[in-house]
This record gives sequence, structure tokens and C-alpha cells, in this order.
Amino acid sequence: MSDAARLLDKKVLFFGGKGGVGKTTSAAATALQASRSGKRVLLVSTDPAHNTSDILGRPIGPEIVEVLPNLHALEVDATQESARYVEEVKVRIKALFGHAILKEANRQIDLAASMPAAEEVALFDRIGSLIRGEDDRFDLLVFDTAPTGHTLRLIRMPELMEAWIRALSRSRRAMLGVDQDDKNDPIMMSLGDRLERLREFRARLISPRVTSFVLVLNAERLPIEETARALEQLDEAGVRVGALIVNRVLPPTSIDPFLVARQAQERVYLDEIDTRFAHLPRLRVPQLPRDVHGLETLQTIAAALYQA
Amino acid sequence: MALGKNIRDFVHGIAYSHYERELRKQANELNDLFLLLCYMEVVGLPNPATLYMLDIYPYLLEQFHLWHRRMGMDRSPLGNLPCC
Repeated sequence: MSDAARLLDKKVLFFGGKGGVGKTTSAAATALQASRSGKRVLLVSTDPAHNTSDILGRPIGPEIVEVLPNLHALEVDATQESARYVEEVKVRIKALFGHAILKEANRQIDLAASMPAAEEVALFDRIGSLIRGEDDRFDLLVFDTAPTGHTLRLIRMPELMEAWIRALSRSRRAMLGVDQDDKNDPIMMSLGDRLERLREFRARLISPRVTSFVLVLNAERLPIEETARALEQLDEAGVRVGALIVNRVLPPTSIDPFLVARQAQERVYLDEIDTRFAHLPRLRVPQLPRDVHGLETLQTIAAALYQA
Repeated sequence: MALGKNIRDFVHGIAYSHYERELRKQANELNDLFLLLCYMEVVGLPNPATLYMLDIYPYLLEQFHLWHRRMGMDRSPLGNLPCC
């Protein structure tokens, strides 16, 4: 099996990299290729500045929509996820408490939901439930992520949250002491559920059978350096990198002196990529004469990636 | 019989009252620590899991009320966290 084909065998693929290198194009082409091979695919954009609609040439929104029979797409909207999460909590507690407590609690909940971290956690929570398999219509999830820094934070979040919730549980258990039952304490139960879900999320994220990260870069100085840093951090987080996609490689056909000079410089960087990242599969995608837009051009990219 | 029990209770009280106060104090401190961890954002410390705390806020209202009363404040000292 080729390196590229191995990617399509996973359940979860993340596409990351510096801004503008072609993450959305690579993710969409991959999703298209997998769906053509019979997999049921969901393409998820988590970048707050969504481009999926632009590249697929049709509107995609915060609800899952069908693009082709086997291909669905979704642009996650953090603000909406946060609002949805808050509504769910309010419904959940409604049955459990009296009117006076609910009034105060709802005020606190609205306050907490307006905190800056809330939207990020809501986005993280949605990604978590998708990865845990809440929607069994799909065989493969393809995440088109925000530029590297933001995404690496997201990848580290289950770990961070788990540690945090565990510390809270410990504090709660110490507080309850020995004579109160911590099995029936509603707070302990809520924290326990949360911990269980976070563990499952993280287990799937670091399982090399389930998840692979694909880093997209161009043959230029800054993307190379950012890729090297991202590789280190993903390694620390325990997430496996399945391949690098070197996007927009100039085709060797020009006699124009400007393009010949550009190509000579690109050659240096391509060599550097080959030596520095020799331990990873590297897939090259040529620069196309026209913009990537719509399913037809995506098919060209998919062919360059997966039928080489 | 009754006198014997009274004497026993009296001695028991002398022996344990000191420890009991200490234990109560420790229990309260543990309570406060837990409360602080849940309400970090309110006092200006970033809490990574604020959204995940929403489910347990209703359970904490009573505890928060006990805390501000114990600290000798009739009303909630935190404007952004109303109580009574």
C-alpha cells in the first residue's frame, strides 16, 4: 500500500500547517478521493475563517450538508456551538432543580458562557464528540484546521482538560471526606462522565490506527521552519504524523528566466525538505495553471496526491 | 446510671472539642478550595474548563452562600456572581 493510500485507511485525518499553504485544498481533495473510493466522508472545517464553501463552490454552514452522495461537509462555528452547549445544559438542569435555584444558576451559566475561553472549549467539545463517533454515518472525518498554533493548542486540550478535571475531582473527593459517598455525589458523577469522555477522545487522538496528522507546506523558508516546530510539538502530544504534503511545486517546463530562477531556488528548499523530513512520507502537488475552485479542479489535485 | 453517662459525655466533650474545631476548619478549607477551583474566572484567574463547570453550578449555589456567610458577609461580595 502506498503512503497516500495508507492515509485514507484512517478514521480521522487532520490537515494542518501555516496559513495559506493549501490546507483546505489538500483536505478537500483528500475527502473527495476517499468518498470516490466508497468511504462515507465528513469534511470538517474548524478554522474560524472558513474556506470550505469557497473551494467546494457551494455554501456550507454550521450544520452538516451533503455535497456528494458519499461526501458531507461542515463549517463549525464556535459562537453557535457555545450557544448550543449552554442551551443543552439549561435543559438538562431544568428537571433537577427548583425555580429559585434555576434562576440563579441560569444567570451564572450565562455569565460563564460569555467568558473568552468558552467558545474555544465549545469548539473543542464538538470536535471531541465527532471524533468519539457521535455521528455513525461516517467512516472518515477529515479536519481542515486553523493555522498551526491554534490547532496544536486544540490537540493538547484533552490532556490539559483531563488534568484539570482530575484535580477538581480530587479536591471534591477530599472535601466530601470519608463519611460521604462520592459515588452518589452529583458533582462527582458529572466530573466522572466528563473525564471518561475526555479519555476516550484522547485515546482516539493518539491511536495511530485511528488518527493521522497531515502537515501541508510549500517549498519556502517559513513553512519549512513551522513544519519542523509542529512536528516536535505533535510528537510531544503523542499524535502521529502520517505524511507531509508539499504543495504548489513548480512544474519544470518553463524557459522564462524569472521562473527558471524561482525553480532553482525551489530546488534548494525541496532538497532541504527531503533531508530534514526524510523519516516521513512526502507527497508533492504541482502548482496548477489556475486557481483551485470546484470539484473538478479538486479532482486534479486528488489525482496528483493519490494516484501517483 | 444517668449520672455516669453525663460524666462520660462531659469527659468525651473535653477531649474531642479541640479536635472537632480543627477538623471543621480543615473541612471548610477544603470546601473553599473546591469553590475557588470552580469559580476561578470570577476572581480573574483563567479556568480552562469553565464551560464544563456549567453542569455543576446549580449544585454549588448553596455552598457559595455558606461560604460568604462564613466569611462574615451578608451578601455576595462578588458583583459578577450574585447570590443574596
